[in-house]
Amino acid sequence: MSYFGLNKLGTLLNIIKESGGIRASLYKLYRMDELKLGTLIGTDKYGNKYYENPRFFYGRNRWVEYAPQYRLEYDGSQVPAEWFGWLHYKTDLPPDKDPGRPKYKWMADHTENLSGTTGQYVPYSTTVPKIEAWKPK
Amino acid sequence: MLRITAQKSLAGAKVSPKHLFPIFSRSSTDVAKKPEKIEVFIDDKPVLVEPGTTVLQAAALVGVEIPRFCYHERLAVAGNCRMCLVEVEKSPKPVAACAMPVMKGWRIKTDSEMTRKAREGVMEFLLVNHPLDCPICDQGGECDLQDQSMAFGSDRSRFTDIDFSGKRAVEDKDIGPLIKTIMTRCIHCTRCIRFASEVAGIDDLGTTGRGSDMQVGTYVEKFFLSELSGNVIDLCPVGALTSKPYSFTARPWETRKTDSIDVLDAVGSNIVVCTRTGDVLRILPRINEDINEEWLSDKSRFAYDGLKRQRLVTPMLRDACGELKPVDWEAALLGVGKVLKAAGGNITAVAGGLADAEALVALKDLVNKLGSEAVCIENSFPLDGSGTDLRSSYLLNNKIAPAEEADLVLLIGTNPRLEAPLLNSRIRKGYVHNETEIAVIGPKIDLRYDYIHLGEDPSIIRQIENGQHAFVKKLKSAKKPLVILGSDTLSRSDGAAILSSVQSLSRGLQDEMCDPEWKVLNILHKVANQVAALDIGYTPDLSKICESSPKVLYLLGADDCGITRADLPDGCFIVYQGHHGDQGASIADAVLPGIAYTEKQATYVNTEGRAQQTLVAVTPPGLAREDWKIIRALSEIVGAKLPYDSLEEIRYRLEEVAPHLTRYGCAEAANYFCEALELGKKTNAPIDTSPLDVKQKTLEDFYMTDVISRASPTMAKCVAAVQKQNLSKY
Amino acid sequence: MASVILRSRVLTPKYLKQCCAGISTSVSRYSDDVEVAVKQREAPLIRKELALLNSAELEQKRQHEEGTITVDRPSNVSVITGVPEEHIKSRRVRIFMPAKNAMQSGTDNTGQWEMEFETRERWENPLMGWSSTGDPLSNMQLQFSTKEDAIAFCEKNSWPWFVQEEPPKKEAKPKSYGVNFSWNKRTRVSTK
Repeated sequence: MSYFGLNKLGTLLNIIKESGGIRASLYKLYRMDELKLGTLIGTDKYGNKYYENPRFFYGRNRWVEYAPQYRLEYDGSQVPAEWFGWLHYKTDLPPDKDPGRPKYKWMADHTENLSGTTGQYVPYSTTVPKIEAWKPK
Repeated sequence: MLRITAQKSLAGAKVSPKHLFPIFSRSSTDVAKKPEKIEVFIDDKPVLVEPGTTVLQAAALVGVEIPRFCYHERLAVAGNCRMCLVEVEKSPKPVAACAMPVMKGWRIKTDSEMTRKAREGVMEFLLVNHPLDCPICDQGGECDLQDQSMAFGSDRSRFTDIDFSGKRAVEDKDIGPLIKTIMTRCIHCTRCIRFASEVAGIDDLGTTGRGSDMQVGTYVEKFFLSELSGNVIDLCPVGALTSKPYSFTARPWETRKTDSIDVLDAVGSNIVVCTRTGDVLRILPRINEDINEEWLSDKSRFAYDGLKRQRLVTPMLRDACGELKPVDWEAALLGVGKVLKAAGGNITAVAGGLADAEALVALKDLVNKLGSEAVCIENSFPLDGSGTDLRSSYLLNNKIAPAEEADLVLLIGTNPRLEAPLLNSRIRKGYVHNETEIAVIGPKIDLRYDYIHLGEDPSIIRQIENGQHAFVKKLKSAKKPLVILGSDTLSRSDGAAILSSVQSLSRGLQDEMCDPEWKVLNILHKVANQVAALDIGYTPDLSKICESSPKVLYLLGADDCGITRADLPDGCFIVYQGHHGDQGASIADAVLPGIAYTEKQATYVNTEGRAQQTLVAVTPPGLAREDWKIIRALSEIVGAKLPYDSLEEIRYRLEEVAPHLTRYGCAEAANYFCEALELGKKTNAPIDTSPLDVKQKTLEDFYMTDVISRASPTMAKCVAAVQKQNLSKY
Repeated sequence: MASVILRSRVLTPKYLKQCCAGISTSVSRYSDDVEVAVKQREAPLIRKELALLNSAELEQKRQHEEGTITVDRPSNVSVITGVPEEHIKSRRVRIFMPAKNAMQSGTDNTGQWEMEFETRERWENPLMGWSSTGDPLSNMQLQFSTKEDAIAFCEKNSWPWFVQEEPPKKEAKPKSYGVNFSWNKRTRVSTK
């Protein structure tokens, strides 16, 4: 079976099945340029799903599937800090299984990179204007 | 004495006949006029000087500069700092160069061992009590003490007493909103005291105590309020007196200096504009012996912060709701152009005192091209007689500098102290050094020197003219009499009669003068470019504007003309072009932002008829543009294109109109005095009985007179300070 | 190798003489006496690059090596200086004599002629507040001993110029310490 590569076909079928059918698979392929089968490790509060499959080589064996609401507008900064560590092999414990992670009330919510959007940071002049213009009454 | 004579003979033998020859030749020609010059040797360099010349002055003639703190060439000799000690050969002690007159044949050593040691000693004493706060001192970088301590200061201190008694500390004085005092830094050179009493004429500053308890101050708690007070900042060789508005702003090496001309009064003082990053930081005087010497009036020096407030930075048009709304240049020019075209020649232009000659000529050309002759200035002058056709009837004919040589000055309806402080300082200089007598016809005002008050009645002028007044005797006996007529007087309804009367009075004195260069008749203006406007052909008949019911009124920086909407016919479109939002802009239908004098290279003519140019120190703010360029752009839209595109071309046009307008630095003299008088006599109008008046009477009225100074917070503080001082019991 | 290097320094004859003596292959090379070695005469060196030039070219070469080239007509270097045309045609140079600083008594840096370009925009850098400019010529400060030198320099660089004449100097009147105490004059000092 493996000699003819038929097991690959089985894997493909499995992936399609896991992905939720042909239509969903095609959409996923269109959206992410790849179809991968893996174990769901966890989901963050924004809906991003984190997968692992040790069958792939190191560096490719942990990945994120961005939440569907991002559609094609996903980018790396949408991964919150707590998952970032797991995704980049800083730790093998996902945040929900790691008791050592600090949790304080004052910790800010994660924000994605807003460059290029209306919410981006624009530097402002810290110098006072030299000229005060006349305002007609 | 004998020794000196012997030495002189020795020196005479040594010196080549070349040096001696001029002495003999001079003595043979004008022996009656000048005493024989004497020869002295400064560092073995021979120099011929007038008798009575001080060692310091003689050294300056051969380019040897002797360090000094107290000596200032425009103030009396004080001789108290001792920094100028020099060695004179065969004299056992060093002498103070600033106070010691030279003797024949003296050999002065300005760089000898003894001289250096003496100066090092003086410097050490000065530094004993001078704080070492140069890093936080505003004078740092332009401090005489700092510089001279580099040459004569020791690199270590013998002042070991610091734990015991410490350095002298002196309480700071509050002497007003312009001058900051850090009296611990004071080295008691007394320059400020001498300036106050000699030049400003206010004996408020002085010293109390002696020895290490000596303090410079105002004796009682009092502001040092004078129209020239800012000059003590320049005079102070250390950082004891520094500029309050400029404090902790910049170091002198950070700023860029641009030579320019002041336009806040009609004197045209030469100034240096110090800027950094497109921001005017301070204004300093620039020496010009013919105009301001090295003084500057407080308004000119401190009103620069008015250039940063209330500025017009964008063109504006009045919209349907009747509100001025910012628009871009294209819309503004098209809007104004449309109205100008529709007016069909029924246009009147009024130019203010701050408008430069380039803009004046461009505006006149434009208005003329559109078929109107109505270009006028804000102030009224008599139009009867020669009117403003002959320059002699609107110039300070005798110039500013010779005013100090006059032996009798008659001021008619003017307050030179507030209208032209630097002319007043010249008169005061004559009063102090030349025993000048001054007489005033007009209100009793404080001029900071004694004068004979002849009265307020203008008929006194006629009495003097006819020889009926007792003062005539004095006038006739004067060798160099000066009559100064204020522009306030000329804007009276009987201005023509007064002018003609003063003309004939001056003529009578002029005829008896032996010096043809001396001009008795002088008119003193109050605003910067009045003379240029009159030279170009602007007429002083503002009152006729309302009668002519113009469709378009073009105000070129005219804010003080007192025209309101109510004076004008309905539907009259008012265009205001200028750099400050003031009266003019607030009544305007269209505002075109021009630029101020620090931002353009432009021609200004002062009250003596001297053309000078300002230079660009900073770039215009926002959308503001050079005034003549705005008018040039407008002319193209109206369809009456003016034939000049560059500064050179418009200056060529200026030269066509009046050649002296581009002869920078020269004061073009007026003539046709007799003709002006003859024409004036024909008017034959009576003089009113209403007393002569001047607009600026007290120091309060001095500070805020034009758009720039009215916008200046510093000037407002000055007015408040004067009012506070008036309440004080001192 | 050494000889090649040394021979290239033909321009300093004295130096050359000594060097040649040192490396000469003639007999005196072995002499112990330096004086003799130096005095030893040899055929003059011929410089290859000069050998084939005619007299006019030689003269030009000589001038070039001396460091001065004489041009007998007004020169215009603006075409080769590489200064952008915008900074040649649209600039205005002011030639002036700097005035004494009113804040100090010293007179250094006065008495000579200077040139400066008209002021162009300078702005505050929004990040640090430092001064910025787009004008490369604004920091050019040149001093000349005479007005004519300054004019000639501007002409050579094709800059439009104008001269601001120096204000008149006043003859100093002799000053006297005594007038402070004169009993009948107004110069008498009232405050001390």
